[in-house]
Amino acid sequence: MQSANVLLKKIVRSSVLPFAAQHGMKKDLFPLSRTLSLSLCLKQDNSCNPPKKLDLDAWKKVMKSGLQEEVSETVSECKELSTLAAARELLEMWRLAGRLVPENISDEQLKTFLECPSKSAKKKYLRYLHLKELYKKNDKRKMDEKRERRLESQEQASKTDENKRNSFICLWANCMDRAYSWRVAQSMIFGQPLIFDMSYEKDMSVREVANTVRQIVLSEGCNRRSVDPFHIHFCNFKDDSLYHKEFIKHYREAWGKLLITVTDQCYTDVFPKDKLIYLTADSPKVMKTFDHDKIYIVGSMVDRSIKTGVSLARAKRLGLETAALPLEKYLLWNTGAKNLTLDQMMQILLTLKDTGDWKKALEFVPKRKYCGFVSKPVRQLQKTLNLINTLKLGKRQEEVQKQFAKSYSRKLTQK
Amino acid sequence: IQPPEKPLQAEEWNRLRESFQSPAVFEEVMFNSMIRCNSPIDVAKSLLTHVAKNNGDIAYNLLLKYLALCVQQGQTSEIHDVYEIMKIKFKILESGAYNLIIRGLSNSDQWRMALTLLEEVKKIMIPSRTNYECCIKAAGRHQEMNLAFELYHEMLTKDLVPTLDVLQAFFDFSRGMKGAKLQKELFGVLLYLRDNQIYPHKMFMRSIKLWFESIPGGNWRGQLTNIKDSGQCPVCNHQLEDSDLTEEEYDNLRERIIRDVIHGTDMFRKTSPQEFEAFQTFVENRLPFDIVIDGLNVSHIKPRKMQCENLFDAVNCLAKDNARLLVLGRKHMLINSSNWKREIMKEMQNKADFFFAENISEDDAFLLYATLRSGKHCKFVTRDFLRDHKACLSDSLTRHLFRKWQRGHQIEFSPSSKKMFLSVFIQQPAFRYDCVVQTTGDTWHIPYKDISEEKYSYRVPRKWLCIQQK
Repeated sequence: MQSANVLLKKIVRSSVLPFAAQHGMKKDLFPLSRTLSLSLCLKQDNSCNPPKKLDLDAWKKVMKSGLQEEVSETVSECKELSTLAAARELLEMWRLAGRLVPENISDEQLKTFLECPSKSAKKKYLRYLHLKELYKKNDKRKMDEKRERRLESQEQASKTDENKRNSFICLWANCMDRAYSWRVAQSMIFGQPLIFDMSYEKDMSVREVANTVRQIVLSEGCNRRSVDPFHIHFCNFKDDSLYHKEFIKHYREAWGKLLITVTDQCYTDVFPKDKLIYLTADSPKVMKTFDHDKIYIVGSMVDRSIKTGVSLARAKRLGLETAALPLEKYLLWNTGAKNLTLDQMMQILLTLKDTGDWKKALEFVPKRKYCGFVSKPVRQLQKTLNLINTLKLGKRQEEVQKQFAKSYSRKLTQK
Repeated sequence: IQPPEKPLQAEEWNRLRESFQSPAVFEEVMFNSMIRCNSPIDVAKSLLTHVAKNNGDIAYNLLLKYLALCVQQGQTSEIHDVYEIMKIKFKILESGAYNLIIRGLSNSDQWRMALTLLEEVKKIMIPSRTNYECCIKAAGRHQEMNLAFELYHEMLTKDLVPTLDVLQAFFDFSRGMKGAKLQKELFGVLLYLRDNQIYPHKMFMRSIKLWFESIPGGNWRGQLTNIKDSGQCPVCNHQLEDSDLTEEEYDNLRERIIRDVIHGTDMFRKTSPQEFEAFQTFVENRLPFDIVIDGLNVSHIKPRKMQCENLFDAVNCLAKDNARLLVLGRKHMLINSSNWKREIMKEMQNKADFFFAENISEDDAFLLYATLRSGKHCKFVTRDFLRDHKACLSDSLTRHLFRKWQRGHQIEFSPSSKKMFLSVFIQQPAFRYDCVVQTTGDTWHIPYKDISEEKYSYRVPRKWLCIQQK
């Protein structure tokens, strides 16, 4: 065995050495020599027929080439990275790896990112920023497209120039605004009060407060445009609270000119207690009719984490009457929580105030949450819903079918 | 798409790419399917070469996918090369790449390199528990138990929860090894199981058993067994720990229940101060009770029966032996209705004390308070798992205490299915012994879960490993 090995060595050496010498190699490279000799053979083969053999590691050379000069720079920079910059680098790498990470991130956002308590919180926050960025980009693209189209159409219009005459000067938006303001001002004197209870700040995260304010802004808009607006009160409103900051972000200068009443007092100090009704989904009492003499309170709270009974507790503490919307009575509930957004509440209350028609008012409940309006007795509908669900899940099919057949035949006989 | 079986030439790749519906993501999709099909590495290399020659560069995500393929096939030298290239090209790497490289290297003979990478990860973030897992396993595989335990302790200080795999690996790798320190460490792992109420699975249990039996000169012997209801081990006749809490733990738990569950963030959410005060004086005047019953919960046991009859049956069933009963209910139960007959309610009130809370109050909180106030012997009856109340407790230690107390003090009723007409309940008694890893020095008792048996978090395993030193 050994002798054979030596022999092999000799042969290989004799054939390789001249080649190695050519390329300026030293001895002691025996482990390499065999592959070298092999590739030599292959090379000879290749020279006969056109190049067919792939160099599988060529990509490494490509990647390494032209990088040597940069290395010295990057190493020195590496050491001076602050935590913020390091986080930025990390995010950039994540983006390259194909994770959902925003392209641009401000220092403030970066700080929030670093302050996230857990890995999943970080991931969620990044995802949120990424989606936000995406929406912004899409909006911008759409705006640009629109502008281009408008310019085009204007060009065409200018070619076929025709002077249009009109008896009104086009001032629609302005006029409408003034009319609305007039109405809301009227309601501030004669209108029915509606209270937003702004005392939930400590129960919410920053994002939830932002969402709340957004919903209130929407509801204020609805109220302003309605035929007979409420007189909106913000009670328990503290200056320099998070709510306040968010409101200013939305309204800017208009915040001082809003036709609503803002107070840091509690509603129990402003209005007689027996007139107040706290609206909360947790209430055991169900609202039957809309009372024009009562003053309804809506809690300004968005709770993404499930905190049941927070507003009910508040009403209990103050000894106020509570009420919930009769969702069960009028709607065949499907999925989702019974708490509605503030703007939906506003729409429902406005409709009730104008018409007193529950069916019309509850149109504003999101469609995904219910299957339909209740026309038949609730229990029967519930049965059909259960039936549908069990059929969907494929559970106990025979039993369900039997039951269905039974009820169906009964219906037929009834007719 | 199906990846090719052999390395392709540039033109062939081009052709494939053009036939693909969205050429922009062709490489990514191709690499993904290569990983899925575990294609030969040469194929991937040829694609990389093609990309490199076309663009003069390879994107990071492609390198990452190639790395994943290398790790999947254990190509150590390739992992090395890719790491070198990444390090040259990018200032820092992100967690995905580190995870892959650490996993890849820890399985090779260059596992020490994985350790240095772990150090690198620590500079930019907290390593994941799988990072540690890889390194610990690699160290264990090469008989460096000290290093493995060092990493394990480091991991615990970072609040990472070790996987059962890692814990099992400790027992597997130190089989037959000698050393007092090692033994102490492994006992420490067992105590970790105890403290966190973790039950090993069958394979893990076997590893523990084999390790014990392999300790040189230890004379340990392990046997599988079922513990009797009395809490005695049939193998060594040893009496298991009871599920009673210590005086201190008990007081602690009671205070935390009042503070976190009843008061919570806002007392009005569950009750009101007036009501709670009234309840407190009510309880103080009639202490101690033997059994506290959640009236409403018990009244729903048999849905076809009248609710007050269900409750009546339960009260009768429990009222034997002069036990002092307290039934918690709501005020609506006092109103004569189809489900609640006044006469029956009257009769029940002769046999037990009743407290009726407001209709919108939570009676469970009262249940916990009354039971804890009555003392250790007091049990409570409900089918509720009380998970929402457990969740109100703020730290995991108290939650463990709560679980332990609940196991020892909750009585569950369920209707006997056959005797529908007789008022017979199957009474599931509270456990007399505590189901947790335990030791007396020369014996160990370890509960384990059979993989075949379905295991719910509220159900504790019934099978045990008994280990004793001869």
